[in-house]
Amino acid sequence: MKLKRQAFDPDRRRLLRFLGRVVTYASAMIASLGVFGRRGLAGAGPAFPATDYDWTKHRWGFGVDATRCIGCLRCVEACKTENGVARDAHHFRTWVERYVYLKGEKLPRVDSQADPGNIAASGSEKEYRFDNRYKDAKVEKAFFVPKLCNQCEHPPCVQVCPVGATFRTPDGVVLIDHDYCIGCQYCVQACPYGVRLFNQKYEVTDKCTWCYHRITRGLKPACVEACPVNARIFGDQNDPESPISKFIRENRVQVLKPSMGTSPNVFYVGIDKEIV
Amino acid sequence: MAGSENRMPRHIVRLLLIFVIGGAVALAARYLFQDKSYGIYGTFRGDAVAELAADEPMYKGSGYCQSCHGEQHSEWSAGIHKVVLCETCHGAAEKHRSAKPAAAAALADLPTHPQIAAERQEHVKLAIPADSVKLCTLCHEKMPGRPAAQKQIEVSSHAGAQQCVVCHNPHSPKIAAAGAEQTGKPGDAAAGRKKAAACAACHGADGVSGNPEWPSLAGQQRGYLAGALLAYKDGTRRDPMMGAQAKGLSEADIGDLAAFYASASCKAAGSKSSAQLASAGKAKAAACANCHGAEGVSHNPAWPSLAGRQEAYLANALKAYQSGARQGPMMAALVKGLSDADIGQLAAYYASLNCK
Repeated sequence: MKLKRQAFDPDRRRLLRFLGRVVTYASAMIASLGVFGRRGLAGAGPAFPATDYDWTKHRWGFGVDATRCIGCLRCVEACKTENGVARDAHHFRTWVERYVYLKGEKLPRVDSQADPGNIAASGSEKEYRFDNRYKDAKVEKAFFVPKLCNQCEHPPCVQVCPVGATFRTPDGVVLIDHDYCIGCQYCVQACPYGVRLFNQKYEVTDKCTWCYHRITRGLKPACVEACPVNARIFGDQNDPESPISKFIRENRVQVLKPSMGTSPNVFYVGIDKEIV
Repeated sequence: MAGSENRMPRHIVRLLLIFVIGGAVALAARYLFQDKSYGIYGTFRGDAVAELAADEPMYKGSGYCQSCHGEQHSEWSAGIHKVVLCETCHGAAEKHRSAKPAAAAALADLPTHPQIAAERQEHVKLAIPADSVKLCTLCHEKMPGRPAAQKQIEVSSHAGAQQCVVCHNPHSPKIAAAGAEQTGKPGDAAAGRKKAAACAACHGADGVSGNPEWPSLAGQQRGYLAGALLAYKDGTRRDPMMGAQAKGLSEADIGDLAAFYASASCKAAGSKSSAQLASAGKAKAAACANCHGAEGVSHNPAWPSLAGRQEAYLANALKAYQSGARQGPMMAALVKGLSDADIGQLAAYYASLNCK
């Protein structure tokens, strides 16, 4: 009560002195919390620190034409080499799934590189091929579906990172800062598409970057480069004449799990109702 | 408390002091431990982007290979395999490049192909794939799910265990029916009969030769005949007699002659050697059968039928491929391992077969 009376003391000088202290302490506290530390949002800062590449001018996009894919897995091989992904059958930045509907069966049979049959056909986990198990089967319908990071507009994996180690760049790629990553794998759990992988050697999370080191040099991602049948399409969505803009314009494209509200940037043609 | 009328209560001062010190510690920690680039672009370490972008690309693209391997590059870029990167079969070029300066000396005394495939040093020489069946079937094995537009083969029945590169050039794998395509239109057999007078002297009136060293032409593949005449004409295949004969022929003549002999009915020369020799040859003919047919009758117009041709002629042809007198990438590779005895047996076997 005494304090209260004091605070409302009509003595002008005392009141001013008190207010001055409050302002000083408060501003010190605010500054210490680092609120002023945020210097604007992405893109507002200095230009991307590589010569002749401006990341505000691009909006990358990726297309997958499943009707062309032959399941040769040269994209998988190229990705592993290009990005130093662990040479085993369980860690992939990109992979290919095979969907086979046999006559009389309602659900497709699905297999991918981790399947023991495919590992056996490859000879080792360091090489990748599909076995020919359906050679003599009665196949109603079969096709291959390449999978990779969808580089979502609203990536749940970025939202859950507790240390700010993963982020989305203005040119539309979700990256991981391996120095900041603590390996908690929340993001692995959060990704609705299961595209994030854990690097056991360095205990950090890893993911497809659309070969960020290539696309910022004007090259195509390694998997796109390696695909012999043009099943993978890449380009700048800001450029109406780029392969991806044409692909989206000339086809009825769809994205995976649109109901998740993630707004993926990988556009599919020729996939079936079962593919998620 | 009477004396402290003008001062802030002590417990409040202490509290504020704790806040100030805490704030200072936080600021200092932020200054010392937070990366300087944090927050430049957003709530992440700005330098991370440049670090990720600084990785050296491993796949260089086929244009990169062109500067040193121009010959293979032009062969590849003219063929249907131009959609397949060099690096898809040979491995990433960055490994090749990054090891190059240090390994230049080691490269000099590396054995030449095909040993390279086995003895290559990793990160120095890019692999020439040793097992082409394993490599090619990645894309070309017939498999449910592959689009129909993709060229696919039944591996077991296409060529057995034979390596793909025996018949196909991996840089340009399409096997053209060479002669048939070169001559353009099929040719007129009746016109060919009239032009065949000069040929009859050696190859027999109806294309059935009586001389064991001269081949019968009757019933031979049209494309092969046309291709052989064209090769004699432009000198890629050398023979004093045939060179002179073919020189005077126009392309239309060649087409007509090929059509005539292809339509003529053949008569097997037969083998004068023992049946034992022929059956020994049959056992060794598996590699031949892939192109020349199981019964020595070829199904590709560009490849000759062997069944019922002259025994001595067949043996001489194989020897000519061995010595390099007759050129042909596929045959040259196939005859390399044959002994004279093998050649004798193969010739006896094919001569003994019935022609069609």
